[in-house]
Amino acid sequence: MMTLVTGGSKCGKSHYAEKIFDNFAGKKFYIATMEPYCEEALQAIERHRKIRAGKGFETIEKYTDIEEISLPENCGILLECTANLCANEMFRDDKIYDPTEKIINGFRYLKSRSKELVIVTNDVGSNGISYESGTEKYIEIMGKINRFTAEFSDNVIESVYGIPVPLKGHLI
Amino acid sequence: MIMITGGAFQGKTEFAKKIFSLNDNDIIDGKTCVFNDIFSAKCVVNFHLFIKRLMNSNIDPIEFSEKIIRDNFQIIIIINEIGCGIIPIEKSDRIWRETVGRTGCFIAKNSEKVIRVNCSIPMYLKGESK
Repeated sequence: MMTLVTGGSKCGKSHYAEKIFDNFAGKKFYIATMEPYCEEALQAIERHRKIRAGKGFETIEKYTDIEEISLPENCGILLECTANLCANEMFRDDKIYDPTEKIINGFRYLKSRSKELVIVTNDVGSNGISYESGTEKYIEIMGKINRFTAEFSDNVIESVYGIPVPLKGHLI
Repeated sequence: MIMITGGAFQGKTEFAKKIFSLNDNDIIDGKTCVFNDIFSAKCVVNFHLFIKRLMNSNIDPIEFSEKIIRDNFQIIIIINEIGCGIIPIEKSDRIWRETVGRTGCFIAKNSEKVIRVNCSIPMYLKGESK
């Protein structure tokens, strides 16, 4: 089963994503894509770590190239989140890349290794503000990646102030 | 308690007025009202801006929301969805946006109904339509 969890900032996406694994018996991995590049990122990582503690996830920190992660068959995978992964892949060595295909292939690889896959992403395109070209490109590519990911996901769930709303498939 | 959310200018207030038979005097504006008026108001709009004002006065919005739940459990809270975008450059904007997210989750959890209005169309995320 594959589930894409989307929504805005601090609206309960992780909470829902982790709940999916409550009854998962096999080995489960948490793929963390956020690079601890500043104090705020460190705080966010620490907060998520605390929430996850005791839930049996093995954490893999991988900021780019998720297709390189070696994983056992039929495992559980929670990846958090597409927005960081996309930014890390896009903005490298002072250049701007289009990582759509690479990331989608990475997600397909994770799907092929797992029994339960949950991808947490962000809606970054709904505030109506115009940005400089690099950020505009990022919003466009995030939109594309989310659309393509939704296509091969069984469930797509949007979290609205903590309430999971099914956009495709079913709630757990 | 009832929570109404959705993007800006989607018809949230109009919906509330119609469905819950409110007139203008029943509604206070979170952007400008006196803090304590929220304990007796039937409905508050712009609760996301009310949260910003609480933060500017060093009041914890979740603790304040607990008081609202205790003292005015019938209130209708209208709060914009503001978290779906690029992370703001200003640190204070980032903290506000995250606080609105967390406070909104708390309000939603304690509400009997949560309704999202988009293009004037209500969708009941929690509770039944009457």
